[in-house]
Amino acid sequence: MGSKHSILLSQEEIRSICEETDFTPKQLQRLYIRFQELEKRNPPHGYLTREDLLDIREVALNPLGERLVDVIMQDYGDVNKLNFQQFANVFARFRRGKTLTNLNIKEKKLLFLFSIYDRNHDSKIDRNELVEILKMMVGGNIHEDQIATIADHTIGELDADGDLTITFKEFCDTISKIDVDEKMSMKFLN
Amino acid sequence: MYQNKHSIFLIILLGFIIHKYYCKEQTYEHKPNKPLRFHVAEFNFDHVSDVYAITLWILLGSLAKIGFHLSHRLTEKFPESCLLIILGLIVGGLLYVTHLTEQKAYVLNSDTFFLFLLPPIILEAGYFMPNRPFFDNLGTILLLAIVNTLFNTICIGLTLWGFQFTPLYGGTEFEMLPCLVFAALISAVDPVAVLATFSEIHVNDMLYIVVFGESLLNDAVSVVLYRMFASFANIGQPNIIVMDIVLGCLSFFVVALGGVLIGIIFGVIGCFTTKFTEHTPVLEPLIVLVYAYLAYLTSEMVSVSGILAITFCGMVMKQYVSFNISKKSDATTEYVLKMLSSIMETIIFMFMGLSTVSDSHSWNTGFVFMTVLLCLVFRVIGIAIFANIANCWRLLELTRIDMLIMSYGGLRGAIAFALALVLDEAKIARKKEFVTATIAVVFFTVFIQGITIGPLVKLLNVRRKQIEEPTMSAKLTNRMMDHVMTCLEEISGSGGSNSLRDRVRNLDRNYFKRWLLREPPDRKDIKLLQTFKKINTLTAMRVHDTARGLVPSASTATVQQGMPEHHHLRSHSAYGNVSELIAANLPENTVPDLMSYENHEGEHHHNDAEMHHFLDTNLYSARPRAAIHLRNQDETGSSDDGTHARFEKSYHHRDQRYLPTRLERELPHGPKTISKTVHNANRPIGLKNSSPKHTRSPPTTHQQLNPRSRSRSIAAHQNSPIPSGQRTKSISKDSRISPLASTHIENEGTGRTAVERSRPWRHLSVTEETGASSSKTANIPLANGNDPNLHHIPLTVADFGGTYTKSPEYMGEYATTTKPEEPSSRPDVRDIFNKQSDDVSEQQDDGSTESITRL
Repeated sequence: MGSKHSILLSQEEIRSICEETDFTPKQLQRLYIRFQELEKRNPPHGYLTREDLLDIREVALNPLGERLVDVIMQDYGDVNKLNFQQFANVFARFRRGKTLTNLNIKEKKLLFLFSIYDRNHDSKIDRNELVEILKMMVGGNIHEDQIATIADHTIGELDADGDLTITFKEFCDTISKIDVDEKMSMKFLN
Repeated sequence: MYQNKHSIFLIILLGFIIHKYYCKEQTYEHKPNKPLRFHVAEFNFDHVSDVYAITLWILLGSLAKIGFHLSHRLTEKFPESCLLIILGLIVGGLLYVTHLTEQKAYVLNSDTFFLFLLPPIILEAGYFMPNRPFFDNLGTILLLAIVNTLFNTICIGLTLWGFQFTPLYGGTEFEMLPCLVFAALISAVDPVAVLATFSEIHVNDMLYIVVFGESLLNDAVSVVLYRMFASFANIGQPNIIVMDIVLGCLSFFVVALGGVLIGIIFGVIGCFTTKFTEHTPVLEPLIVLVYAYLAYLTSEMVSVSGILAITFCGMVMKQYVSFNISKKSDATTEYVLKMLSSIMETIIFMFMGLSTVSDSHSWNTGFVFMTVLLCLVFRVIGIAIFANIANCWRLLELTRIDMLIMSYGGLRGAIAFALALVLDEAKIARKKEFVTATIAVVFFTVFIQGITIGPLVKLLNVRRKQIEEPTMSAKLTNRMMDHVMTCLEEISGSGGSNSLRDRVRNLDRNYFKRWLLREPPDRKDIKLLQTFKKINTLTAMRVHDTARGLVPSASTATVQQGMPEHHHLRSHSAYGNVSELIAANLPENTVPDLMSYENHEGEHHHNDAEMHHFLDTNLYSARPRAAIHLRNQDETGSSDDGTHARFEKSYHHRDQRYLPTRLERELPHGPKTISKTVHNANRPIGLKNSSPKHTRSPPTTHQQLNPRSRSRSIAAHQNSPIPSGQRTKSISKDSRISPLASTHIENEGTGRTAVERSRPWRHLSVTEETGASSSKTANIPLANGNDPNLHHIPLTVADFGGTYTKSPEYMGEYATTTKPEEPSSRPDVRDIFNKQSDDVSEQQDDGSTESITRL
């Protein structure tokens, strides 16, 4: 099965993606198999859509699943299409390894995290965005006021310059104590 | 300082010695055949001797600990455990030299040790186990605990035995099986020693949990090995068949899994019990302790690993019990556990020093030397091998430095010692050598390694533990990262630890929490909300503790100035969506105002602190009592009325005092503030100018806003016609309630809502105002016609927002009386709501109560 799929990925492509992402060819092969599993179209077109990703049950159940898929699609794919190179690029951010490329550094991870909040791309998290995320994570049964209070509290914690929004810098400063590198990494099988 | 401490110890010792002599003389005096006479008082030491001695030991240990900590120089250089052992040695030496007592009573006795001294320490460790790092590193911990311990035992045992063929031991013979028994007890890392040492050096969580987790979990292995080799020694080497070894291996699983199972079962029962302790909260801490102890005893009874049982019992209980039991009970449980484990640890180390001084030693230099050396060497080798194996799957790889600290932190302690003491001398001829060697190893690890590990950690620049306050943002981000990584793992198809964790969490939420918690969570992130509550409580406590001066007039002035522009900012950036605001039914005159205060200050804690302090100092004349009462006010809802009464009383002269000033200031400010309120509220311009008349017959387009506008109209109404003295009273009543209510909110999760709390003033103000603003009654039907949800909101905001929402305004009112009308308008709103919807309020009560308690 693997060999059949791998035909679709030329050596050239593998090499270039490997170079970019620092995945080993084997890891890439695995990712590619997964990529094709997710793409259920026949014959394969070589891209994933938002719906493909949301078809995964666990993703659909995840409180942030939809948001995450949106981030991946909008920020890393183009117009609801995510080709394999982009797919690999997303995951390269979370690759754990001794070597650091310019993809899996801490800042990229933080940016990814930040972009989950910041959907209007103004490099700021404002109150509405925070409330939205909180609603997703806390669930529907909490009253809006409580969420609003929590959001205000959080903004109060993070907001250093008092402009009611959280900039990327403020965001990084506050969570500098968290071991982002460790927590936002995953092991890719070799 | 030093002089002081030494003299203290001398006095204690002296007292102790004199006491002993005195007793002996007394017992002699009892004998002579004097005619029986009535004694006014009798000296009856025998009656209490045992307990008396124990109590004295505890006292001595506590005093010693206190004494050590008086001197920073001492505790900086030496770990506490060393100092305690030295103290034990000194006391033991004195007792030995003076031959005061038969040693037996004061020597570490393995029954006492295993039944009384050890369980509290392990329970505390399990209860406060950082779950997340523990399960993140579980693979590594298990590998080290099981395989590494086994490796160490076999290697040390066989090597020790092997060296008997050299002249190193000076001709003393050691058989193979006894050597293995000895190796089994000596190769297990000791949780007590590790805890004592690592709690002082503050390495990072990962490193700590790997070493400590190993020391906890290896108990199963060492117990099995110890028992197996001991019974093999009983059977005799030639008689052992393969079956015995197979059974031995099998018994490992029974001992380990059995222990874990018993622990979990008792933990679950414990949690289940606390589900029903609502009415007997005093017993809650006891339940935790008793079930845990029972788990330990039960597993000891069926000879599985008690340490594992009590550890897991603690871990399970911690997960659920703290949601069930009251806040006080929770704090008590934690405190009692800490206290018990700390004193037990002290006693263990002291006893170890004490028991060292005895006749039952047999010093064999070669053997002791070899044991210490082999323990060190094989520890290093074992860690090097197995840490590297663990690195194959570990996300965060163990570095060389980590490994060094791990092997250096492999301390041996009292468990080994206690096990050595129970060796049967009839079967194991070299017991004395073993005991001596064990003591040597323990002393070596505790002293040499214990003292040097701190500097070593500093020298190697090991990542330290970061002690951070819980912040909402950190918790949120953490949780978010979890979700994101789980999701990504699912997408990438590599089911990693994140998705496993997610699955466990779902299981937990869907089944365990449902059964074990008083109120099941509805797909909510309890942890997240709990963090928020914790932060709130912390802030409140801090507020209470900070002794700030009165609210400086400067800050209020800035607030006053800043108001319009901040309002401006709000309406554009944060509340840009007016319709959303309306949809959210936020009572405008509370929330936006609050926002502008908070945001203006940037640091609302301070603002809050000032507010609270101001209220504290100004509002209640019976301040200390009130403060204590407020802080302690926990679950007991009944105390509420008492407090009310007290505040009311204390308030009366306050009322008098404030009356004149308020009278002066109010009138000029009145109308201005009304317009400000209206402006603040983000409402359409059309309503801004609406007079009371208008609002009573409102335009249909603004129906949504009706209740609020009405409230304001009442405020306006009030402003002109009523005698101001009366009005002031109602205002102040309102503000009197506010700190009370807010403290409630932070301290408790009981069923009292704002409605209930505010009942007293509601009645009062209603009666006062009915004459003045009789028009209000006319409004009620109108309000009733609106969506009942509308009424919900003021309650919950008042409830939940607590300090943040309410206090600023009250402060403002008192400090400068800039906006006297705003607060005065608020009770009216509530009045309307409460009066017309008594039945609805019942419902709301439930709703809002739930929302509080869930937090």
